[in-house]
Amino acid sequence: MEVGYQFEPLHKEEITHSQLVRYAGASGDFNPIHTVVPFAESAGLGDVIAHGMLVKGFVGQAISQWFSTKDLVKFSSRFRAMTRPGEKITVQGSVVEETEDRWICQAEAVNEAGEVKVKSSFEIKKR
Amino acid sequence: MSTGLQEKVGMKLDTYNFKIEKGKLRELAFAIGDLREESLKGEFVLPTFPTVVDFMGEETSTLEDLLGLNLQKVLHGEQEYEYLGEMKPGDDLTVTGVIENVYTKASMDFYIIKKEFVNQNGETVLISRSTIIERH
Repeated sequence: MEVGYQFEPLHKEEITHSQLVRYAGASGDFNPIHTVVPFAESAGLGDVIAHGMLVKGFVGQAISQWFSTKDLVKFSSRFRAMTRPGEKITVQGSVVEETEDRWICQAEAVNEAGEVKVKSSFEIKKR
Repeated sequence: MSTGLQEKVGMKLDTYNFKIEKGKLRELAFAIGDLREESLKGEFVLPTFPTVVDFMGEETSTLEDLLGLNLQKVLHGEQEYEYLGEMKPGDDLTVTGVIENVYTKASMDFYIIKKEFVNQNGETVLISRSTIIERH
């Protein structure tokens, strides 16, 4: 591990409406803008939008493939753009800085056009 | 900022308990599409599992009601987790929450909600900070 190291990207399957229903049940976030198309339309969003936390969940999955989560001490994310059913997300990341006892890393969830959906920073305890 | 918003700073959320069950761990892994064996057995606490704990507290008192939010105008702006201790299946968490800050910027109201998860041994295992945005 060293500053500048790029992690192996995680490629996710296309997001589906069914997945959003499943995610709503799993997470307990039942805001209908994520699952009920007429509600999302009347909110002016067109189609439903994916839960930001689903996309952050993809980033979390990637981190848990890159490191042991026992070493994860901080994980912050900013939700930058809405994600829709039909989009395919890839999570990429790298080490940006190190301190005496931590690796400071960043990760992004992007769609096929390269639009950044979620931008995250996370810190890993050095072993 | 209107005085109505400022008054919400320091408001406490109802304290609640949440037991980490393997079934919920598995359900989240499946919804995210994490099909690793350990995840599907419900033995692995994914980094974003705390969101399940956050939302389950809303079964009895929702943030929308507490803050008077319009769901059609609400967006999740940021989410931060600080992992201070280990969480595992079977743990019984006590969750307290407070509205840490509220401000208005670019015709949107920002609410910073801080939650602390304490396990059955009295150890604080996680601090969650959510930024909820309500568009005007």
